[in-house]
Amino acid sequence: MDLDSFLRDPSSRRRFFQMSGVSVAAGSAVFLAACGDDAPPTTSSGTDESDQADVEILNSALDLELMAVAAYKAGAAQLEGSVLKIGKLFLEQEQEHADGLSRAIKDAGGKANRAKASYDFPVLRSQTDVLRFAVDLENTAIAAYIAALPKLSQGDLRATAAAIVSNEAEHVAVLLGALDEEQVPFAFVVGKAA
Amino acid sequence: MSCDRIVIADGDADTAQVAEFERGRRELIRRGLGIGAGAIAASSIPLLLSVRNAFAVGNGDPDILEKAIGLERVAILAYGVAIDSKLLSTGFERVARRFRDHETEHAGTLTAALMDLGGTPPPKQPTVADIDGVVKGIGDVKSQADVANFAIELEMAAVAAYYDAHRKLIDAKLLQAGASIMANEAQHLVVLRQAVKRSPVPNAFETGTT
Repeated sequence: MDLDSFLRDPSSRRRFFQMSGVSVAAGSAVFLAACGDDAPPTTSSGTDESDQADVEILNSALDLELMAVAAYKAGAAQLEGSVLKIGKLFLEQEQEHADGLSRAIKDAGGKANRAKASYDFPVLRSQTDVLRFAVDLENTAIAAYIAALPKLSQGDLRATAAAIVSNEAEHVAVLLGALDEEQVPFAFVVGKAA
Repeated sequence: MSCDRIVIADGDADTAQVAEFERGRRELIRRGLGIGAGAIAASSIPLLLSVRNAFAVGNGDPDILEKAIGLERVAILAYGVAIDSKLLSTGFERVARRFRDHETEHAGTLTAALMDLGGTPPPKQPTVADIDGVVKGIGDVKSQADVANFAIELEMAAVAAYYDAHRKLIDAKLLQAGASIMANEAQHLVVLRQAVKRSPVPNAFETGTT
């Protein structure tokens, strides 16, 4: 599928993220969540139940990060010069997120998901295609993290998730700049639902 | 301005808190020493203690919201001072106005959230002295680069404060709004860093301290 069709067709995007391991509910990419919407789960001393819920959320986040790593790798062939340098940096940072999430999952007694053998990315024919696809992936991750953040049981995990959201938002600002678009279009960064 | 005039404001802190932030302080100093204009004085005192502690010890969501409103108001005022300084190019002034608008939106949303919780917005509007309470030196800026470097430190303070707040906030929607605002401040950082030729995204985890 070409990128324009992918970006225009909500069902294609949803299908893509579902196949990549991201939970999709009611048209939004969300990480798996075991608790209600009104408040974070009671911070506990690490009950099995809250740990298990955290592991599920973190593993869904990990799926997105691993997909982002694969996407930046796949897109690198179309990038040149300073944009290629940016792509490599962002790839490294997504890998850092993935590594951090894997450690957190293990700390919580879970088993970290692994990258898919392959991802059915849309066809990326140019540097502009790669940048636009990267913006879409980053925004999807932002929306998913923000949706999931209150579900995490531990304050440290919530703070770390916010730090990752902020990093993904920084990526978006750089990518939009490379596309000659407004880098900070809105006062509230909410990302884009799948 | 001389390059060592922007300093991180001191705060009330005990020894343990100073130690806690010492690593961040050293990193901040290192960054400042490497950037030329707007460098952080080596004698600077612990990293943004007054701001970070205010959030970190927030006594419940309303208290944290009050502190956040205060910080956003400081940012609004600081961008206003920068705009009025006549030091900015047309393009950079446009950026400063946009960022001031964003901070105003943040303050408005936080104020509405506080009132929803039955709280009352802090009546006091900030002065330049309050800006100095977060990051010192806005009265000494002499160039657009100085302004950008000052704004970087101010935005870093905001990011760090929101980062800390995520350990304390209870309400789910406030947590999400906080993340959304923190991410916006981080995007401001990208533009400001690029304006002074600094790496726009130096770390994989944006905590406002490294």
